[in-house]
Amino acid sequence: MKGMQVCRLIGLGGVVLFLASAFTPVAHLLDIWLNAPAELAPSDAIVVLGQGVSRGVLSGDSATRASHGIALYQRGLAPLLVFSGGTSDAGPTEAAARAEFARARGVPQHAILIETKARTTREEAQREKALLQPKGVRTILLVTDSLHLLRARPLFEQAGFEVRSAPSDTFFDPDTPEERLGLMRGVLGEIVALLYYRMAGFI
Amino acid sequence: MEPILILILVGLTSLCSYLFGLKRLMWSSRHVAAALNKMLECIGMTLIFFALNLLTAVSVVLAVREIAGVFVSVYTIGDPAWLALSFLQGLIFQWWRELSSERQSQGSQTAGH
Repeated sequence: MKGMQVCRLIGLGGVVLFLASAFTPVAHLLDIWLNAPAELAPSDAIVVLGQGVSRGVLSGDSATRASHGIALYQRGLAPLLVFSGGTSDAGPTEAAARAEFARARGVPQHAILIETKARTTREEAQREKALLQPKGVRTILLVTDSLHLLRARPLFEQAGFEVRSAPSDTFFDPDTPEERLGLMRGVLGEIVALLYYRMAGFI
Repeated sequence: MEPILILILVGLTSLCSYLFGLKRLMWSSRHVAAALNKMLECIGMTLIFFALNLLTAVSVVLAVREIAGVFVSVYTIGDPAWLALSFLQGLIFQWWRELSSERQSQGSQTAGH
């Protein structure tokens, strides 16, 4: 019977979490609390982390990150724009698709670097280090989702970069339960990923 | 639809079904608390299965990466289907437990006679 009481308590916790996530702004508040503010300052390079591509077509978030990186480049914040991202199908890599996107928006070829082999955030930090540090790059503007920066920033700092956060998304206050639940899912997912990276000793 | 409207409508249908059970089907209002407890048990069981499934999935993904050298993304565990399937597992396990304990208590009563 004690097992069932524990079950009930877990169930109660689940119901409370669901109701709070869907019908109160708790997910939005958590999102604000966890996010790092943008630190836009002149740097040696702009590094845009990978997100996803399917048969050469960038996912929505991937295109948003790439657009933000291009905008930062066009503001003159760094002379180099580095795109990361491989592919899991036969199509072009995410980094190649982003580079094409950047060229179409006026970024010169000589300012673009791509990295296509990394499959995780940790591998991205290691490979960007190998790619950029021989070129003398020390300070970077790191472009990714604001929640992802929680994990990505310490990884790139460990790799020896001086990191400036450049979150590609903007805060939005979701007003439907579906949007709020989606945001809470993202927040909890990133917290779990962060805990895993900490436990594994990656950061 | 406004979130508050969702809560009001769900509250309304809950009240109607409560009155229907009470007045039409002659069910006892005392059993509502027990029914709520059973609902919490089912959700608790679902969350336990959800945690078990995610832990297993992460372990398998990391083992496949390590042993087979094949990269499998951990992001596959973010799919909402995990929660739906865990709900089915939790429901079945909970019903199995209930039916088994009913049978056991019936068996012990028969043996007592």
